[in-house]
Amino acid sequence: MSAWRALSGKTRCHWRNTWRVLQQQSRLKVWFIALFALVFELTLLILFLRGFIFLNTLGGAGTLIINRLFSLFFLGVGIMIVISSMIITYSTFFRSPEVPFLLSHPVPLYDIITLKFLETTVLCSWAFFFIMIPFLAAYAYHQGLSPLFGLWNLLFSIPYLGMASGIGILISLAFVRWFPRRLLRTTLILVLVGACLAVAWSIRTVRPLQDDTTLQFNLAALLPGLALATNRWMPGWWVSEGILAMSKMEWGRGMMFLAAVITNGMLVLLLVQELGRVWFEPAWHEVQSSASGGNTRAVLFPRLSRILAILRPDVRGLVLKDIRMFIRDPMQWSQALIFFGILAFYFSNLRSFRYHLLPDTWRNTIAFLNVFSVSAVMCSLGARFVYPQLSLEGQAFWTVGLSPLTLKRVLLTKFWTASLALVPVSIGLMLLSSSMLSANPLTTLLACSLAGCLAFAISGLSTGIGAVYIDLEQRNPAAIVSGFGGTLNLVVSLFLLLAVILPVGAILHWHNLGWISGWRFQIGLAITILWLFATTGAATIIPLVLGVRRLRALDF
Amino acid sequence: MIHIEHLGKDYGTKTALYDLCLDVPPGQLFCFLGPNGAGKTTTLKILTGLLRPSRGRALIHGFDVRTQAQEAKAITGYIPDMPFLYDRLTTVEFCEFTADLFHIPLSEARLSINRWFECFSLDTYRSTLVKDLSHGLRQRLIYCATLLHNPQVLFIDEPLIGLDPYTIRLIKNLLRESCRNGMTVFLTTHILALAEDIADQIGIIDDGRLIALGTLAELKRDHGGMNLEDCFLGLTSNPQE
Repeated sequence: MSAWRALSGKTRCHWRNTWRVLQQQSRLKVWFIALFALVFELTLLILFLRGFIFLNTLGGAGTLIINRLFSLFFLGVGIMIVISSMIITYSTFFRSPEVPFLLSHPVPLYDIITLKFLETTVLCSWAFFFIMIPFLAAYAYHQGLSPLFGLWNLLFSIPYLGMASGIGILISLAFVRWFPRRLLRTTLILVLVGACLAVAWSIRTVRPLQDDTTLQFNLAALLPGLALATNRWMPGWWVSEGILAMSKMEWGRGMMFLAAVITNGMLVLLLVQELGRVWFEPAWHEVQSSASGGNTRAVLFPRLSRILAILRPDVRGLVLKDIRMFIRDPMQWSQALIFFGILAFYFSNLRSFRYHLLPDTWRNTIAFLNVFSVSAVMCSLGARFVYPQLSLEGQAFWTVGLSPLTLKRVLLTKFWTASLALVPVSIGLMLLSSSMLSANPLTTLLACSLAGCLAFAISGLSTGIGAVYIDLEQRNPAAIVSGFGGTLNLVVSLFLLLAVILPVGAILHWHNLGWISGWRFQIGLAITILWLFATTGAATIIPLVLGVRRLRALDF
Repeated sequence: MIHIEHLGKDYGTKTALYDLCLDVPPGQLFCFLGPNGAGKTTTLKILTGLLRPSRGRALIHGFDVRTQAQEAKAITGYIPDMPFLYDRLTTVEFCEFTADLFHIPLSEARLSINRWFECFSLDTYRSTLVKDLSHGLRQRLIYCATLLHNPQVLFIDEPLIGLDPYTIRLIKNLLRESCRNGMTVFLTTHILALAEDIADQIGIIDDGRLIALGTLAELKRDHGGMNLEDCFLGLTSNPQE
């Protein structure tokens, strides 16, 4: 039997057993996740549909945008998959414990590369289907396309996703193979400094408005960007044109685009296999050879230790340990940097879109949407990194558990560390967003208060629920996060965002529309602010109290 | 069977292995001893193709581990100190998968699996997922999977970690018997008593250099020790100092 058949057989067994394990899980958990996914998809579907209807009502630029939106969507998905695949490749090709296992067996390199290509493609693209399905369904419904539209989408999407993922893999392999590791730190610093300078330059540069200030003008300003999506050399355009042609039963044109996508996808796969075979092995040995030895530089930590000297020694020890672990785990800081970096880049470019010249109503809406995006990023970071922290102590819990430090203090230290990391970043981002939008002081204050309160609440929820559902046996962070507690934490955090941001945003929106004013507005505003503090306060304190109770009752 | 010529390995500016020359004939059980960080695992990883040497070469049954890696791997078995196992496969599925990688026909593989499962008392865990096995059972499973293709050369990094006394006795007997049947075993360990007990030849490595080589009797004679521990402590430097 060939090694490839063995690997395929192993993968089949893996998925069959995973399915069996899933069937043995709590029904409550399965239903809870299924219900949440359904509500999530339906909400997105309604949002996309409302968006299309809105664009349609604008006529002119709106109609043009709808026509090009499909191409833009596939261009965006393609770029995101390339970036995602570049990041995931490092884990799947160079950090996976499966690779040394396979390399120590007589498995041809060609098969290992193909297996890792498929694994990377699945890992970097599966989540996009959660956005693709409602978007495409809304688009099809709005444009009155045939129900077969879904099938054509699937047919075109798979080779397209493989193509994008393959490009990401090739970039990543070439980077690891050829980029001198000694220059990595310098390059990263240069990139960061460059990004900061670009943001600063962007903030200082206010482009003068030529003539119109209407909404149509602002939408029309986006059209040149859309031109890239409809460039005939872009594979995203082949996909969108092909699907539309198939939906309109223009079979010849549709098949031509399908053939273009499939052949290019196969070409990329061939390049991954052939170049990967040449690049991967030396790159892998390079990574292995540079992975050990050397002393970790601790330039930052003595200073940090002096700054934290005001804390009790045991608390300082815990905080320093967590900061060290965070900084020395590229997975954690790189994700935080990427998420918040993208938001900072977007916020600093708000004036390029001339959002600051929109009427108050729109600027208010954008400001609160920005609060939502910052808070959603905090939710994902809280779920991914704050929630599993206590469980991950499991392997070393005896160190903390046997010390005279109370578990309540451990929990509160985790909470404050997470909060003090998230609060300044979220408020800083909201100040940047408000400044770029030229928002009025009230909107700025409310947006910053929301972001700050939510940072505390998300830290409290993630730490508290993490303690309630603590799992000291589990060593894999991904397994901890995907458990019932992790899912509950994410769902509750997302509902909290909606419950807190919507009332505050709505009262200001109605005020800007002139629906409420005077004392009615003041009372409404006072109630929503009270609601904000009460909800986020409860979301912070209750999980922490429950977490402390759970830790006190814990045998470890 | 194992022929090592002037093997060296650098990690950046740090040299982990200097000019290692060694021959291990067929049917011999070779024990590689050394303090932490001495270069034992580096040597083992080079011999199994997981690391590329910076200098020199290594041959397994005449096959160069770099240029004829597939041929060398086909006759080799490797048990690392922290072995990787597929958590979502059952024990039998994992062994069948390993057998497939070595191109063993399924019928033959099943006979071999039955034999080794009985030998390592794994019969009651045939349908158990790997993730549900204790550390000791996982170790026993990796032995089963590695021995399926009857390797001519077996590399083991710390062979007795996490095993109960019964399994330790079983493995010692198994290794002795395998060597009698012609298998070459190259193992690294910190347990000096194990080396004293089963090794035909012992190599001591310190700071990347092979500093002693010979049978237990030769080492005792040449280095004036009453036992292997005295020899080892006299020859090597304390990594804690």
